[in-house]
Amino acid sequence: MSKSLLIISRQAPWSGPGAREALDIALAGGAFDLPIGMLFLDDGVFQLSGAQQPASLQQKDLGANLQALPMFGVEALYVAQRSLEERGLQDHPETLAVERLDDAGLSALIDRYDQVITL
Amino acid sequence: MATLHVLSHSPFTDSRLSSCLRLLGSQDALLVCGDAVYALQAGSAQLQALELMPEAIALYALDEDVQARGLELPARLTLVDYPAFVALSCQYSKVNTWL
Repeated sequence: MSKSLLIISRQAPWSGPGAREALDIALAGGAFDLPIGMLFLDDGVFQLSGAQQPASLQQKDLGANLQALPMFGVEALYVAQRSLEERGLQDHPETLAVERLDDAGLSALIDRYDQVITL
Repeated sequence: MATLHVLSHSPFTDSRLSSCLRLLGSQDALLVCGDAVYALQAGSAQLQALELMPEAIALYALDEDVQARGLELPARLTLVDYPAFVALSCQYSKVNTWL
């Protein structure tokens, strides 16, 4: 039985490689059928907002790559409700099917996984 | 002696924006670029703080960074491109970059 891994992605999408690297780990793990979960926390929740135009910064569309997560078998996707509220995003739909969790839900989530990595 | 304050870090991860707002002079201006444009996010306390600045303080944002992040724009904001950014840097007597 492989150990389960929770990836916590807390970087905004366009300022550095953090967001993409977290996604790459998730996709690689998914490709090998590892039990992977992904949590969007803090500025990481901006990865899920719509109407982004990365081409204006000559960047590739991270949002399109996020859509690949379920195809790679990574379906345990979560977002921190508090992070959404702090950023005024609580009424905006996410671009990906993610489950919203409150603070208690977050600690329960981390408890459920064997290993955790935060990027 | 007005200063242009340039912010480029996310206002949700540290205190640069709040410190900058505290020490802003009455004729100063604020330019947000990079992740600092997230301060313009509708419904956030950060945007509320920006809206509370005196009218005399100009608020600028770098257009391409706003476009990339798909943000709605507050009424008092002026969008600038890089040439306009350079022009502003010359127009103010000092530029304070919050690295």
